[in-house]
Amino acid sequence: MIPNVAPAPADSAEPTAAAVLPKAPRQSAAKKFSGSKLFASPASIAGVIWLAALVVASLTAPLWLPFKTEDQDFTAVLSGPTAAHWLGTDELGRDLLSRIFASAAGTLGTSMITVIVAVGLGTLLAMLAAAAGERVETVISRVTEIMMSLPGTVIILAVIGAVGTNIPLIMGILGVLISAGIYRVMLGQAKSLQSQLYIDAAKVDGVSTAGISLRHVLPGLTNTIVVQAALIFAVGMLIQAGLAFIGFGPPIPQPSWGGMIQGASQHVYDAPWLMVPTGAVLALTVLAANAIGNALGKAPNATASHLPSAAARRQRGKAVAAIAATAPASQDVAKNTLSVRNLSVGVDSVGAGKGVRLVTDVSFDVEPGTVLGLVGESGCGKTMTALSLLGLLPSGVSVTGGQILWNGKNLAAATEKDMEGIRGRGIALISQEPMRALDPMFTVGYQLTGTVRRLRGIGRADAKAEALGLLEKVGIVDAARILKTYPHQISGGMAQRVAIALALAGRPRLLVADEPTTALDVTVQAEILSLLRSLVKDTGMSVVMVTHDLGVVADLCDQVAVMYAGEVVENGRTDSILDNPRHPYTLALLAADPHANHGADMPERLATISGQVPQPKDWPSTCRFAARCQFAGSACLVPIPLLPSGTGDGVVRCVKADELAVEGLDWLATDVPSHHILNLVEAPAAATRTAEKDPA
Amino acid sequence: MALFITKRLLMALATVLVVAVLAFLLVHAMPGSPGAVSLGAGASEEAIDEVNQRLGWNDPLLLQFVSWLGAAVQGDLGISLIDGRSVSADLASRLPVTASLAAGATLLSAVLGIALGVTAAVRGGTVDRIIGGVAGMAVALPAFWIGIIFVYLLAVQSSVFPATGYVPFEVSPQDWALSLALPVITLAVGGGAFIARQTRASMLEALQQEHIRTLRATATPTWKILYIHALRYASLPIVAGIALQFIQLFGGSVIAEQLFAMPGLGQAVQNSVSTHDAPSVQGVVVIATVVVVAVNLVLELATKFLDPKLRAS
Ligand code: SF4
Repeated sequence: MIPNVAPAPADSAEPTAAAVLPKAPRQSAAKKFSGSKLFASPASIAGVIWLAALVVASLTAPLWLPFKTEDQDFTAVLSGPTAAHWLGTDELGRDLLSRIFASAAGTLGTSMITVIVAVGLGTLLAMLAAAAGERVETVISRVTEIMMSLPGTVIILAVIGAVGTNIPLIMGILGVLISAGIYRVMLGQAKSLQSQLYIDAAKVDGVSTAGISLRHVLPGLTNTIVVQAALIFAVGMLIQAGLAFIGFGPPIPQPSWGGMIQGASQHVYDAPWLMVPTGAVLALTVLAANAIGNALGKAPNATASHLPSAAARRQRGKAVAAIAATAPASQDVAKNTLSVRNLSVGVDSVGAGKGVRLVTDVSFDVEPGTVLGLVGESGCGKTMTALSLLGLLPSGVSVTGGQILWNGKNLAAATEKDMEGIRGRGIALISQEPMRALDPMFTVGYQLTGTVRRLRGIGRADAKAEALGLLEKVGIVDAARILKTYPHQISGGMAQRVAIALALAGRPRLLVADEPTTALDVTVQAEILSLLRSLVKDTGMSVVMVTHDLGVVADLCDQVAVMYAGEVVENGRTDSILDNPRHPYTLALLAADPHANHGADMPERLATISGQVPQPKDWPSTCRFAARCQFAGSACLVPIPLLPSGTGDGVVRCVKADELAVEGLDWLATDVPSHHILNLVEAPAAATRTAEKDPA
Repeated sequence: MALFITKRLLMALATVLVVAVLAFLLVHAMPGSPGAVSLGAGASEEAIDEVNQRLGWNDPLLLQFVSWLGAAVQGDLGISLIDGRSVSADLASRLPVTASLAAGATLLSAVLGIALGVTAAVRGGTVDRIIGGVAGMAVALPAFWIGIIFVYLLAVQSSVFPATGYVPFEVSPQDWALSLALPVITLAVGGGAFIARQTRASMLEALQQEHIRTLRATATPTWKILYIHALRYASLPIVAGIALQFIQLFGGSVIAEQLFAMPGLGQAVQNSVSTHDAPSVQGVVVIATVVVVAVNLVLELATKFLDPKLRAS
């Protein structure tokens, strides 16, 4: 009867695209209570109105109730709704409406006792555990663990045996039992608040521990407190009514909701109506409290789903069909050549961040056996571009235009079924964090052998041999042992080798690698890169390599497409771009990258690029790099086309590209934007400060 | 593993002991001495004293507790003050009623909840909203009220099931099942809704894991991703939810037993509390705790078995 109040299953919305948008610079983790959330859903508005009306009605009950709770009308026993008795009468002819509203105040009030005790005590314990360190936390956690593993209902009944039906006291003790669950909900949040920087600062300033808890931690917990209070309020009402139902309510003849329902249960045969009004009022009140709690507690989704729901897939199917209808007939490209034409990717037009463009008008080609690097800072749309090649954009994001041509098909307009035929067999994927890319619940062997069987259509024994062969091919010596392990039992580098083996299982002709070395140790990085290089040589497959590391590009790539803010700003052969960059952003990346600078012209100081990649919704229609460009001028304030750069088939998107080439300008080692450069030269103080910032 | 089990067993024992002390103290705080309770109103002072003396009521508390504990360990929970019957025997005959009720309701909740929760997460859109709405309603409706409505619809109106009473399994398995049907369905409404929400949330979380993308990138069929990989990942929280539900339903049976006139533990605790039958209250609290603690123990072992990370360590 006493419901579990431990971490309530979140009533979260389906994952939305808001999750995939680049995050705004760090927000405070403190979730402030916001009243606007309360009025965001019709259900919670109705809840607030119902509760308010109920409170007002019950407090003013003596003024307007048509009957006293004890008035008996023997002319109308067990009657349904009539003009005299709007909600009918019970077995003694007492007016239900009067009894329901007269007992409302008591029910709501005593339920508040549970709320105050449970939430108060739970929050206090959580703040104490967060503030007082590990040992105290262990003790409190153990005690609450025990409390939560008790048969609450039976204990409450035993308490009733000892203290009688003293409702306020019982509701208070109930609150103590429930506080253990509240503590569990609050602890994590209290700890993260406690550990935040501003609290360290407060400590230095000499604020006492209690002061920190009250002034900094408590406000951050407000929203959770209100959410839990609403939910516990509902729980309190249900339990109180349940107790009254089994005969432990307020003393007779005082009315109570549970008692009245118990009375009704005696008359199911002769007066079924009797159970309706009281039950409905109780249920509505509980619903109202729950609706308020859920509306306030609704968490914005942190991450997007990697497998959209059926409804979302249907929608995407329609969008894809629309693209297919408008797309020009796919031109023929050579076999196993990937040709991306004017690709655009955007957030779907529902939910948060709707319609925002994440990738605009991107084009590039990848010939068989070659490696293309997609380079840029994070937030430039590299990963979205890469994922769209496999049709694996997260839910809420889709291709909005352009073509992805691959062996006679336009993948941008391909159905999910078509894509299933291409994934793994034609185009494969390896991703950034190998540990998270493998299913933690299954052994490497299960995952690899199953994939081999599926993609090659061979039997179990052959697949096992093939899996062993694949692991050896990616440089794993004790392949047989690795097959038996779970992903958490192997190192990151080993896991990435396994992930590569998985990707190779279907003998793909194109490998999409999304920052495959970023999460690994430097030495392991080099090993994985040389593995990829030899795989390209041996298998003749091509690779699209997403990276922010120009060292990787120099090492591995034949072609480079530099991306900034969702568009390609420079594209061409790796050697010509690294030796002779034409776009200021490429220049800046090179100047900021220690590995990309070839020995001789290694500068004494490394440059930084001031500012950040703008948020997709803020991309201007002018040169998107203008705000950070040291060479920006008035000519840059128009949309800039992608034009041939003059070297080979390279292209560049900058009005001053030719000028830069002629003058051979360098990106200056400074974090001060261009219009400050003059000042910098004139002001030695500023120059010194910049010099101090040099990386050690 | 052995160390883990030993640790958990000790913890469980400690919990039961704490509750035993608590129950003992609560019972001693009950109004009226055992003599007064068992002899009823109108008994003479001397007679009451004589009974109290015989039951050891005047001994030091610690001594009383130790002797109660000593007997309890051997399966003797004392004698009811009201009808003089052995508490252990009485509870032993009631345990199967409550256990079948709670187990049946848990089973039905789990089946319903997992099916609905997975459907909501997988289908999304309108289906998700409908299931979410229904589950939201179901957790808000008091079990006893739902029970009455079921009685009205299924027993009074269409007499599909018997409205009240309990038939032991030994007497007639078929009637046993029929007599359990309504109470089990009643309890499973809220329980199923709870597990459905838990399942939906866990499934959505599972589908947000990056390895789902790897599975798609290797052309794993959608049904396999959903029902083998995602469900397997979500199984840990779902199992925890089911165990919690069993504990709750075990307590919730008080209401179902009252409503459907079933001779289970809930009815026993309700009766003994109203009649201040101290040994019975004490016994039922301890038995309920043992059951709940045992279920928690099983849950922990199940979790350990389900999670490769824990299994290996
Ligand atoms: S167009 Fe202008 S602002 Fe943009 S990169 Fe070129 S020089 Fe810089």
